[in-house]
Amino acid sequence: MTEILETTVDKFIFKVAADRQYNDEGVWAKSDGELIRIGLSDFVQQRNGDVAFAEVKPEGTKIALGDEVAVIETIKVDIAFSSPLTGTIVEVNPAMEEAPEAINKDPYGQGWLALIEPSAWEDERSQLLDAQAYFERMKIEAEKETEEL
Amino acid sequence: MSHSTTKPDCIVIVPCSGIGKTYGTVSREAAYDVVEDLRPDQAKLVALSMLVLGDEQTRHAVVTNPVVTIDGCKLACATKMVQESGGEIVKDFAVLDVYRSHRQFKPRGIAVLSEGGQQLARVLAEEVASVVDDVTESSLEGGQNA
Repeated sequence: MTEILETTVDKFIFKVAADRQYNDEGVWAKSDGELIRIGLSDFVQQRNGDVAFAEVKPEGTKIALGDEVAVIETIKVDIAFSSPLTGTIVEVNPAMEEAPEAINKDPYGQGWLALIEPSAWEDERSQLLDAQAYFERMKIEAEKETEEL
Repeated sequence: MSHSTTKPDCIVIVPCSGIGKTYGTVSREAAYDVVEDLRPDQAKLVALSMLVLGDEQTRHAVVTNPVVTIDGCKLACATKMVQESGGEIVKDFAVLDVYRSHRQFKPRGIAVLSEGGQQLARVLAEEVASVVDDVTESSLEGGQNA
């Protein structure tokens, strides 16, 4: 079972899965055999609201670290996310087509975005945040946003 | 003003009360379309806030008539509050689901809905009106068979 880091800010509970790494935008990356599975953090999905549509770059797309990998449209915003690694998209979560609310329901599980065959993972993973570092950054962001409300 | 006065064989519409949210506005616009324009004789509006406040007339309207809820988000406050009040929901609509089926009508704006938002509200209102027709028809059939 995935270890979860958890914090409560105001009335919101935010969770960070400890078994993966994150980029600044809250896109997570987790090794899955030879591939890397990516998705969005719980904080990202809560901050942006219910997902109406999710468009992930199609299978076969070669993508570089920092390239746009997915766009989601929620009840609040349209927002693009950057890839946390370089590689080739080998699978897009089929749920993104029919039931993108999986991102809201289970951001670290059923709501994954894509599987990527990495081409420079060992070099690039050092540029990502570990779970604890992302957790601390997320807490600061969450507290700041709550104060602004 | 309370909208909670009941009349026989009316269908109660309870939209989202979310203020400051586009999808909440779409839900209310759709409800207004139904009760003021599309099915003024069959449908009646109930303000969710009155249910939350525990207004007795409003609760009575909800428990003595079929209810259609229109939720602005997945929190589904309208549906949950009607259930909590003991009402019978014949259909619960979610604006997000309707938008997914009509992506060309992208809603924007809060106080004033964008053109897309108004069109989405109209589509939703027509779906609600269709449910009102179904319930009214089955009530009439039930009455004839009684």
